[in-house]
Amino acid sequence: MNKIPVIIDDKSFEVDPHKTILEVCRELDIEILTMCHLKGLTDIGACRLCLVEVEGINKLLSACTTKVAANMVIKTQTERIKKYQRITTELFFADRNHVCAVCVSNGKCELQNLGYKVELDRIRYPHLFPQCEVDTSHPWYVMDHNRCIMCTRCVRVCNEVEGAHNWDVMNRGHQVRIISDFNTPWGESSTCTSCGKCLHACPTGAIWPKAIVQGQLEKNPGMVNELVERRKMKL
Amino acid sequence: MDKRKIFISPVTRIEGHANITIELDDNGNVSDALFHVNEFRGFEKFCEGRMYTEMPTITPRICGICPTSHTLASVKACEMIQGIQPTYTANLLRRLMHIGQNLSSHALSFFHLSSPDFLLGYDSDPAKRNILGIAEKFPDIAVRGIRLRKFGQELSERITGKKIHIMGIVPGGMAYPLTEENRKALLEWIPEAIETVQLGINIIKKFHEDNPEMVASFANSPTLYLGTVGPGGEHELYDGKLRFMDGDGIILQDQLDPAKYLDFIAERSVNWSYLKYPYYKPYGFDKGFYRVGPLARLNVCSRMKTPLAQEEFEKFKHMSGGKPVHGTFYYHYTRLIEALSDVEDAERILNDPEVTSLHIQHHGRWNYAEGIGSSEAPRGTLFHHYKTDETGKLLKVNLLIATGQNNPSMNRSVLEVAKQYVKGDDIKEGMLNRVESTIRCYDPCLSCSTHALGQMPMVIEVRDRKGELVKRVERN
Ligand code: SF4
Ligand code: SF4
Ligand code: FES
Repeated sequence: MNKIPVIIDDKSFEVDPHKTILEVCRELDIEILTMCHLKGLTDIGACRLCLVEVEGINKLLSACTTKVAANMVIKTQTERIKKYQRITTELFFADRNHVCAVCVSNGKCELQNLGYKVELDRIRYPHLFPQCEVDTSHPWYVMDHNRCIMCTRCVRVCNEVEGAHNWDVMNRGHQVRIISDFNTPWGESSTCTSCGKCLHACPTGAIWPKAIVQGQLEKNPGMVNELVERRKMKL
Repeated sequence: MDKRKIFISPVTRIEGHANITIELDDNGNVSDALFHVNEFRGFEKFCEGRMYTEMPTITPRICGICPTSHTLASVKACEMIQGIQPTYTANLLRRLMHIGQNLSSHALSFFHLSSPDFLLGYDSDPAKRNILGIAEKFPDIAVRGIRLRKFGQELSERITGKKIHIMGIVPGGMAYPLTEENRKALLEWIPEAIETVQLGINIIKKFHEDNPEMVASFANSPTLYLGTVGPGGEHELYDGKLRFMDGDGIILQDQLDPAKYLDFIAERSVNWSYLKYPYYKPYGFDKGFYRVGPLARLNVCSRMKTPLAQEEFEKFKHMSGGKPVHGTFYYHYTRLIEALSDVEDAERILNDPEVTSLHIQHHGRWNYAEGIGSSEAPRGTLFHHYKTDETGKLLKVNLLIATGQNNPSMNRSVLEVAKQYVKGDDIKEGMLNRVESTIRCYDPCLSCSTHALGQMPMVIEVRDRKGELVKRVERN
């Protein structure tokens, strides 16, 4: 396939067309922060962390959903981008109830790591402290909406990879919630196969196994793409 | 005489201060004293709705000094819910961590917070009456005190990788094994630690000898005592049954299952403190208050488990002809006897061939809706009580902490001081220091009492029979 020329952060590259800016940058080892992206799943551009500047376009574009084009001039590290990444991260923390010190995910959390990355030292927005449910009804797993950032990785992995479509999204704005089946307790789901893929896909301490306590959590989000690739091989 | 009500308005409570109200009768004589505990942080309430398995992570945050005791009480409650027992090795490692915490806490209490009073004198310059003052005049003692605390912290660090706010103690056992390298490194501390504790014992005994009147005058009235003992009545911190003793040394109840604590302990809320008032149920609220902690543990137990501590224990028992010792001042001495036993016991455990075994965790899942766990925190017996629904979600949490159980006695001790030092609006010189050292004896886990430098911040209010403020003294 013919490669196309692009300029990323003032350097010229020849890259595959039909790929997203994010895919291209990952291959070139150019760092782009992401949260809703998980390799192997359809990208939806929900979290707005992967924003890049493209010359000639005034608004910032999400790298995970924008395809490269010939002669594109892309910038990934501008002050403007950093400012928005910082705002987005702060809003994640202000939106629900994150108490890392007592969280099962502490030390192994993608959101926490993002906080370190953007050098989060305070949150300028008022915390909303919503009353969120902890769904403990599943025999093996817990769904704690307090720690959910609405990346919908669980929704997509359940639908696209497991094919069960237990998870979905309900409401809008601050009321938005992940739901099981038609907003019934997870333990009563008629679609969930208890495969645990959502647990591995979830970047935070929102979905976790009942059998463990803080310090024992091992998530393997890379497993999702491995499964997807192996299935392709069989076909 | 009709009892009037006192309302302590929120503004008079100062976070991080010891807040005390002294009540006068019509003749201006002290009739009561209340030590207010402000640091209630709503733990019981906000744990409801969470998974019971999160409690071992959440509850150690209650206190920075005794996190291990909270975790232990918590994992025991979880194990009761799961219906499982920890492995033999896990029990050894938990004991080591518990010893580590007890040692650091006792070292902090004695060497950092209290030894300045004993070595420099109660009347010495308050600016210097702290661990830095000790470092100036008795550098060896200061360094030893700091190192003893370090040994305690290393016990938990070398097992779980963290000094405080431990991870690693999990329902069913432990998350990490002890390596041979760490076992050896810990053993090397033993001789020095024993020497340091013995040095502390000499300091406190000399103080007893030099100041017999002062020591004797410290709140000295009998109370009941509660502590954990082993199957033979021996001193126990980690796992055992409970023993209640009365002020004359009569064992009221023995080998009580901590899981049945509600059969013998009742709690009453009072309107002037955030802590609940526990009392020994058979004796009722007025007569049933009891003390916990090192003094109580040494009063109730029949013997120590290790030789050097046993030797010292016999001397302690001899002081009162085998009867319980009531003097609040002896908390310090008993803390050190415990520390000695801690170090000896650590040595025994570290030499157990099973201590480095990899069989450290049993696995379980929710089986029962209720779990109760207890352990001996440095300050006394601690109970965690959880009730869950059938998915493991917490419906109700009750935490009975050591400082809460000592609170009624702390009030009484403060009252005894107040009677000596207060008449009407006249507060005698030295009252504040005296109240401070009384509170220190109990080593309560409140922010006011853990100010390592300078004096304990304090607010004392004297109120007349109608509740009108007669005098207010504040020390920052
Ligand atoms: S999910 Fe991550 S960021 Fe949120 S509380 Fe847990 S560790 Fe912290
Ligand atoms: S539960 Fe986890 S994976 Fe699902 S939307 Fe929330 S944070 Fe994302
Ligand atoms: S990773 Fe692109 S918007 Fe979330």
